[in-house]
Parts: sequence; C-alpha cells; structure tokens
Amino acid sequence: MNATAQTENPPPSASAGQEWTCPFCALLCDGFRVESQQGGLKLVGSDCSKAVQGLASFGPVPAAPSATVDGREVSPDAALDAAAERLAASRMPLFGGLATDVAGMRQLVRLANQRGAILDHARGDTLMPVLRTLQDRGQMFSTLAEIRNRADLVVCIGTDAASNFPEFFRRCGPVDEVAFARRTVFVGASAPAGLQGEVDEVALHGDLFDAVAMLAALIDGRRLPAADAALGQLAQAMRASTYCVVVFEPGRLPAQGALIAEAVLRIVMSLNRKTRAGAFMLGGADGLQTANAVATWMSGLPLRTRVGPLGLDHDPLQYASDRLLQEGAVDLLLWVVSLGPNPVPPGTALPRIVLGHPALAADCAAAGTVFIPVATPGVNADGHLFRADGVVTLPLRALRDDGLPTVAGVAKALEERLALRRLATEGRP
Amino acid sequence: MSTIRLKGGRVYDPANGVDGEARDIGMRDGRIVALHPQEEADHEYDVSGCVVMAGGIDLHTHIGGGKVNLARMMLPEDHRANRARDPLLELASNGCCTPGTLETGYRYAQMGYTAAFEPAMLAANARHAHMEMGDTPILDHGAYVMLGNEELFLEMLARGEDFERIRDYVGWSIDASKAMGVKVVNPGGISAFKFNQRKLDVDENHVHWQVTPRHVVHTLARALTELGVPHPLHIHSSNLGVAGNIESTLATIDALDGLPGHLTHIQFHSYGKEGPKKFSSATRQLIEKVKASPNVSIDVGQIIFGQTVTASGDTMRQFANADLGSPRKYVGGDIECDAGCGVVPFRYREQSYVNALQWAIGLEIFLLMDDPWRVVLTTDHPNGGPFTSYPHLIRLLMDKSFRDEQLARLHPDVAASVDLREIGRELSLYDIAIMTRAAPARLLGLADRGQLGVGAAADVAVYREDADREAMFATPEYVFKDGRLVARQGRLEAVPVGGTHFLETEFDPGIEKTIERYAQRHLSVSYRNAKIGKDELCSCANGGALLACKVHGRLGGK
Repeated sequence: MNATAQTENPPPSASAGQEWTCPFCALLCDGFRVESQQGGLKLVGSDCSKAVQGLASFGPVPAAPSATVDGREVSPDAALDAAAERLAASRMPLFGGLATDVAGMRQLVRLANQRGAILDHARGDTLMPVLRTLQDRGQMFSTLAEIRNRADLVVCIGTDAASNFPEFFRRCGPVDEVAFARRTVFVGASAPAGLQGEVDEVALHGDLFDAVAMLAALIDGRRLPAADAALGQLAQAMRASTYCVVVFEPGRLPAQGALIAEAVLRIVMSLNRKTRAGAFMLGGADGLQTANAVATWMSGLPLRTRVGPLGLDHDPLQYASDRLLQEGAVDLLLWVVSLGPNPVPPGTALPRIVLGHPALAADCAAAGTVFIPVATPGVNADGHLFRADGVVTLPLRALRDDGLPTVAGVAKALEERLALRRLATEGRP
Repeated sequence: MSTIRLKGGRVYDPANGVDGEARDIGMRDGRIVALHPQEEADHEYDVSGCVVMAGGIDLHTHIGGGKVNLARMMLPEDHRANRARDPLLELASNGCCTPGTLETGYRYAQMGYTAAFEPAMLAANARHAHMEMGDTPILDHGAYVMLGNEELFLEMLARGEDFERIRDYVGWSIDASKAMGVKVVNPGGISAFKFNQRKLDVDENHVHWQVTPRHVVHTLARALTELGVPHPLHIHSSNLGVAGNIESTLATIDALDGLPGHLTHIQFHSYGKEGPKKFSSATRQLIEKVKASPNVSIDVGQIIFGQTVTASGDTMRQFANADLGSPRKYVGGDIECDAGCGVVPFRYREQSYVNALQWAIGLEIFLLMDDPWRVVLTTDHPNGGPFTSYPHLIRLLMDKSFRDEQLARLHPDVAASVDLREIGRELSLYDIAIMTRAAPARLLGLADRGQLGVGAAADVAVYREDADREAMFATPEYVFKDGRLVARQGRLEAVPVGGTHFLETEFDPGIEKTIERYAQRHLSVSYRNAKIGKDELCSCANGGALLACKVHGRLGGK
C-alpha cells in the first residue's frame, strides 16, 4: 500500500505475528506486525520497501558472530580491551555513524567525555541545513497527527516523499469524519501513484532555489516581473488554505540547502500571519533525530560538537566527519551503526573501532579495525527512537534474541575500561 | 548504614514550625532521624554560623522536554562559555538560560535545590520529558501533563460527555504519562490557534469546539479534586502577557468556583491597561483577589534583567510575540492534536518601560501577599530568567536597600511611580524557607520532603550566614541528597541519579476504549504505545528511583 492514503490506523490485533515498531526509517510505524519464519522475519500488514529491506538484513538466527581485532576473531572481552587501548591512545577521536537508540547515545556521550571526542552522525550533512536554519531564524513545524486531521493542502518541495518514506502519505492521510478535502502538490518532483484526493505537479523553471524564492515572494504578495503562473496559482492556494503543510526532505536538498530550508520557514511564517501552516521535515534517517536530541539535552549543544574535559565546542562546518577524516584532523574513528548494515564505516587509514550490525564483519576485517557486532533496537534488542518530527519517542521491542550486546552495553564497558586504565596510570578513576 | 550529624546550625523548618532555633539534625539511611546527643555519628559537621533548611524544591521550571531541547539547539550562543568543572564528577554540559540537563542538575544542586518539576509535559512528548529529567542528575523530578487543549478532551466537553467519563480520562492521562499533576495552558487556546483563532478570553468560545476556557478550567479542577490529586490544577491563564489581562486572571479564579487551583507565573498575568503606555501594574487587584480566595496558590515567574528565552506551550501567545524575539528567531509547532510549543528568545531590559514594570510587579506580588504558604518562588525558568538567578531574587526580597539600588536603574517613569518604592517589607529566612521548600512540598503533596522532621527524606541544604543573601544562597556550605553529601561550597561531591515522582490514579478502565478508538481514527501512534509502563519509565528516567504516590479519589480505592 505504498503511498496510498488510508483513513484509519490498522487495528492492533489484525493478524498473526508480533506487534512491531519499525526502526528502519524515522516514521517509526507501529501499526504493522512481524512474523518470525524459518529463514527470517516477514513484514505483515504493509509492503513498505524500507521495512522489508531492513528485515531482510536479519536472516535465520545466527550464532552470534565473533568480534574481530585486525581481522582476527577474538573473545568479546579481548575486543573491548583492544578498543579501550586504542581509545586511550587517541588524542582526538571522532565518534561517527551514531546510528543508535537513546540508551546507546546516552552512553556514547559519556564515553566521548572521557576522551574529548567529536560527535557527528553519518547523516550530519542532512542535519546541518535544518540546524543552521534553526540557529539563524527558527522553525515552524507540524506533526503527523496534525497533518492527518487538518491539512487541506500539502505541498511537497523537491521530493515525492514516498520514495524514502513509503508510509508517509498513509500515516498522514486525512481523517474520514473530519470534513475537508486534501490536495497534494509536488513542486519539482513527480507525484507517487495511488494518492487519494486532488494531486498536482508543478514543474520547475530554473532550480529549486529559484522556485522556493519565487514562491516565498508570491506568498508575501510581492509583484514580480516574470512570475511563474503555476507557482502564482500555488501561492494563491496556499494563502487560501486553512492549514497548509510544506514538506521537504533535508536528505535531498542540494548543496547550500539551508537556503531552501530558510525559504520554507519564510513561507510558513508568512502564511501564518493570516492563516495556519507548518513545515514537516522528512529527515532523521538512521537514528539522526535520536543522536542529535540526546547529545543536545545532555550537553546543551547539538551534533558536531566536541565534548570533553575542556568543555564543549560546537562547529557545524569544521566538525563534519568527511572533512575531519580527509584533513586528518582526528586520530581515531569510532563508528556506530546498529540500525542495519548501513551506513557503512568510511574507509580510512586511521584506527577504527566499529560497533556494527553483524553483516559488517567482512568490511571490518582490515588491520587497524576493531569490530564489535551489536544488536539492533526493534529486532534483537529493546530501545527507544525519536520520530522524524523530533516530538514523538517510541519504545522498540526485540523480536528475538541473537545474543548480541547493545551499543549502550558496549559503550559502558569501554567507559569502565578507560576508567580502570586511568586509575592504574594516574591513580584516579 | 552511616549516621550524619549537623551540629550547631540554626534550623529553619517551617513545616514543623521551627524558626531559626539552634538544634542538631541527624541523618541515617537517607532519612532524618533523632540522634541522641551522646550517640556518636559517623560523620559530624560543625555547622555553627550556618542556616539549615530542607533541600530547595522548584515546582515550576522548564528543565526537560521537546521545547526545551529546541531552545538549546536554537541558541548555540548560550553555550559559548565553558565554566571550570570537576573532571572527575562532571560531564561537559553548559548553558545559562538553556542549560544541558547535566548542567541543570549540577547547578541546582550547587544552590541547595534537591527537586525540580517540569510543568509542561505534553502527553505526546512524555517519554522524551522523562528521559531528559532522568539525565538531570542529583535532583528528584516530576512533571505535570498538559491537558485542556487535546482535541479528544475538547470534543468530549463539546458533546456534553458525562463528567465522570472526563474525570476518568484525566485519571488515565496522568497514569499513562506518569505525571505528578496536570497543567492547563491557555485553556483551549492552543487548540483554538490551530483553527486560526488569535485570541480567546475566559468566556469566549473556541471557534471550532464552542467551549470556553471557563468550562475547561472548571472541569479539570473538578476532575483533579475528585481523583484526589494533591497538586491543585496548575493554571497558565488566558492572555499571557497582554495589557489588561488581570480581567482574565480574576475570571479564571472565579472559574474555579472554590476548587483548588495554582495560578502559575502570575506576574505575566497581572497587567492593567492604565497610564500613558496603556500598560500598568494590577498587583493590588490580584492580591486582593488571592487573599480572598484561600483555594488559590500562586508562583510568581519573576523576571530577571538580561538574556533569556521564553519556551511555552502557549502557541497562540508565543506566535503573537514572535516579532519581539531578541535575537530575532522563532520556533513554533502544532503537536499531535495534543498541544503545541513556541520558543522566543528574549532580553529583559531595565530601560524598557514594560520590562521594568514586569520586574516591579513580580516583586510586589511576593511582598504584598500575606500568606507565604500560597506563594512559591520561581522565575518560570527560563521564561522570566534562568533559575541560577534565585540567589539574586532572594536578596531582592530580603534586602530593601539592595532593592532600592536596583529600582533606581529602571526606566525613569517606572522608577518614579511604582508601588514597590513604598513597600518596606523584607522577607525573613523563615519566609524564604516556606516559599522555596515547605510550600512547594505541601502544594505537591510531598509529605516527606521540604521539611526536616524525623522520618523526612534527608535532603538538606546548609548555608553559611552572610549579610549578602545573594552570596549566601548561591553557594551553600553543604548539600545532602537522601543523606548523601552531594555538594560542598559550590563543588560537587557526588552525582547520584535522581528519582521520579509520579501519581498512581484510580479510574474506570472503560475509558480506554474511547481513547483507543480515538487514537485509531485520529492519531499517529498505536494505542499500545500510548501508555508508559513502570519498567519503561525506569529506563526513560535512567534507572532512578520510582517515587510513586497512590492517590485515592471518589472511587475510594475500589
């Protein structure tokens, strides 16, 4: 039922299998079930490609794969010892990836404090346009249930929404009994098939930057010499709607995408002078919202921050993982990827510690790498994740036990080892 | 288990009528005990020259949840300074008006506070709020769930649902979100703003649901009374910050019809519209009304000059003030048919007529109210100013000459005209102990906190006597949490995880069918995830103690 609108959440006990909350995209759908079958886990109640693909990376219950140090299989304790030793030798580690749950991130922040590590997420580049807009001007957002109950006009800017978030339109499909018709307009993107209600596309003349700038100006009521007629009509429709939601996908924004995020904010603020509107950001893949939320509340600053004995240092540009690795500005990479086998750890000549999905074992067998397989919240561990809107946090339950440690457990064990080392060398914990 | 004796301090323990008597305080197993004078304690502290009080309790401080975290992300400029810290005990965390949770716990404890309550927890965001509070070390904590703007509640009210069903819904909401009380914010107004209504007076209809704030307030207050919830309905009244809003405030008190109610950050709701700027103090009207309404308690929401940020569920009023932001940025959101949030950075300036008057109004309320048991000391952190300004505020209240010095710096029209000039009252240490410990504990129903009687929790703050009350209250000599020394002279000694206070209510579970059906049709989360269980609360709250309080209402334990 990809991309179709459905008016009611599926009743919780509709069919066989276990109740499930999906960790594989930031919508955290909790209305489907999963059946354990020989050979793997099968999604029931949806054909969401993200969920199907995510579950496919968990085959038959494996014997817990072994940790490795420089490609050699070792005991869990030996891997922790080796990782702690390399961390202790590092002067400026980067904690990247950060695809983990709340408990994992809580422990990683504590561990980072021990070594003065920089925290960045694998999708940090998609967070920064939104974060920098928030820091410069703000944000005006709506959430899934608000869209469901109120939005008579949904405008998707530069995304079809459904490709990367297959359940999005179902999750926010209009409620039957509330009398309003939904119109969905795609600007610079093709409409997915099967959407309910009126659906339109507005082609771009120029790039997305031009389109949002023109749309913002038209909504402000400015007279433009060569206004695009379709955008003009859209601006009029947005001003006439009772609750307009502007959707964009930070992960699809071009370079300098903050300009588009800013234009969307301007559009929404401007609409709210007379009517009601909000933005919805389809982002937060791979636990991005979770990592950013936890880092922010514990330290006070969002990702791309160095945390340690000297305090905090936040730099959305300098502390980008790619840049730090390319410039050799860090001396160790600790990569965390527990919500599936992606995003894979970047190749680097630096020492690497990977807390990862078991399928990454082969990628992490090189010299200089410590690999510790970890569990996935929502598949073989419990946990909590933040939804794309950053408001709703849902519990995830293990479907089965594969005997793998959690990221939180591994990070805590590393922290304890570092404390013992300090006690031995400096006489203090 | 070891015993502790605090020897020779002057004790201020208003819950037990102790007003500055020299007496020893004993502690064992995390509790206050009577130690025989001959009994040797494992640890004895000479606290002669010191004042001994129960640990401070802040019953209204925005310390955790979505809007607080958005405020942190939005204001990196609040996090540029890194103060020196103890690398063994403290993790990196900073911020002044938007501190990280760790910094919040450290700084409160260093000031002698041992409990803090988040007043605006959205049900949709409750897990997140408990997580942040769980990462706020040392302090015990709890939260009030925001009700009165959810579409389900308004719909039930609009269709004339039986009161008992609404009461059950309120009981369920407290239980599901693991709350310590209920707050209503701009009753019905957050929802009305989603329907593009820009103003909602107490007797005005919500444009869609056709119910009034008066109806919302009365229904919730009655429900809490019948459920036996100790903390009165926590009310952020209509028309926050609007000139002339004293009318709404008085009408809201009338709407309670004698039922218990706690009007929060009352300073922001005590404005007249007299004078050249059509903005004036309505303190005297307010005080007259509150004195005559023994069912009403208040906290002040004092403003403190300087940079801060306002974070509120009141989207209607926050959006109206978005253009006043300094620095100019705004975060707002409509949330899950539940409530909303609005964040506006703000700098209170002495030379602003309005800000100067707000400052004076807050102090007038403290000083004119005759019953300190119904007044709690707050700045509505961070909305009026950061909680770290409490010692400064205490000095303003205890020291008339210091107050006069500050008054002289204000906008000249305010300095020359406000009633505050004529008020000579200086609050006593006993008054301060009531407003910062005993009264909030009593208003929250925390029988064993906020006091130093035998059997109470051993949350204790010891301040060295100093004529400069700001210095005295900024850096206590010793702070104990559950009998453990956590701070000494402004330095942390231990960083335990705090506990979570929450209520266990009784309600007819039949209401769950209604809520489940509503969730299926309107919400975006499965009903099975609507409730936070105790095990889940424990993991959200970082493994701290679960301080459950069973309440028995009209159902009488059935």
